[in-house]
Amino acid sequence: MYAGLLSFMAFVVWGVTGIQAVFLPAPGEWQPPPVSGHKEFPFAGGGSLDDKELAKAVFQAAALTMVGGYYDVRRDEAGNLAFLVYSANGQRELTYLEKARRVRVVFRDSGLGDFLSSMHAGHSRRGAPDRSSRLWGYYNEFSTWAFLFMVLSGIYLWAATRPGMIWALILSGVTIAVTALLWVTTR
Amino acid sequence: MFRLMRNVHLILGLLFFSYAMLFAASSLVIIYRPWLKPTRSEHEQTVRMAAGRAQSPREVALELIQNHGLQGDLRDIKQDGNAIRFVIARPGMRSEVKYSAATGEAKVRTRREGFLETLVQLHTNHGFWHEFMPANAWSLLSLLGSVGLLLLGATGIYLWFCHYEEIVIGLVILAVGLIYSLTTLVLSRIA
Repeated sequence: MYAGLLSFMAFVVWGVTGIQAVFLPAPGEWQPPPVSGHKEFPFAGGGSLDDKELAKAVFQAAALTMVGGYYDVRRDEAGNLAFLVYSANGQRELTYLEKARRVRVVFRDSGLGDFLSSMHAGHSRRGAPDRSSRLWGYYNEFSTWAFLFMVLSGIYLWAATRPGMIWALILSGVTIAVTALLWVTTR
Repeated sequence: MFRLMRNVHLILGLLFFSYAMLFAASSLVIIYRPWLKPTRSEHEQTVRMAAGRAQSPREVALELIQNHGLQGDLRDIKQDGNAIRFVIARPGMRSEVKYSAATGEAKVRTRREGFLETLVQLHTNHGFWHEFMPANAWSLLSLLGSVGLLLLGATGIYLWFCHYEEIVIGLVILAVGLIYSLTTLVLSRIA
């Protein structure tokens, strides 16, 4: 009971994420959220850096919050260095405008559902390095253990206090049989 | 009312016991993956397609599924000159296929994941768009299990509230959990 009360918010986040996940688009059909804002700042890139090193320097200079890394480093049609950054709050598109010596950041903020989906995957070593995200990760990881404990202790409490309930025995048998059948079919 | 809620709590718990174990175990695998040794097996085979039957990637995939034992969703189709590459995947299994129309041969490289990684792939399996029907069934189980998780939480809160001697300590624990989790969530959202 205490484990459940302490972990209550994590269960809500997991439940909402699980419902939302069922309605996510198929691979290849995902569309990024619309542009929600942008900013530019001056940046003088080092001439001797290759694209990967330059992307790292731009990424560090942008100092975006709630991000883990940068991906899809490439040159756009105008020859500018462009790459993507994923944050728990949505996608960010960074472009280094070399002639103007400026960095443009396009923000595509995600909805609350996508934010919760990102956060539900956080744990003590995964997620953005921001302190709030890391503290949530510890809570989420603790809640995972609490969840396992509650599942096992719940079964124990049923078996210890009401072992003779025929309908419960049948129900648990059907549940295990259906899961086993699905597993075998999948494997 | 207490008796009804206790039975509803028990029914939900039993209905989603397997699902809950799957998700709890797979979450722990994800968290502690660096410390776990993955077990998987790989094998390759060359399949000669029936002449004139396989033209498009979908037809090649269909031929492999119907007559050569592959099962899963068709993904990642790429045309590379005279060769067609695609993937047939299902939770715990991934077959990379390279088909040459010139020779009529398909090279199939299949990777079969072990128990733990299959749990993880069932955890991340989602949507009702799968051609592989068991994947849709797992998604349905996931949807029902998620609703069940919320209902288990709600009935659990009710059952706790009926234990009068536990209300004060329970309120303290609930408040600590909510304040901590909501604070970190809100700070992460506005960061």
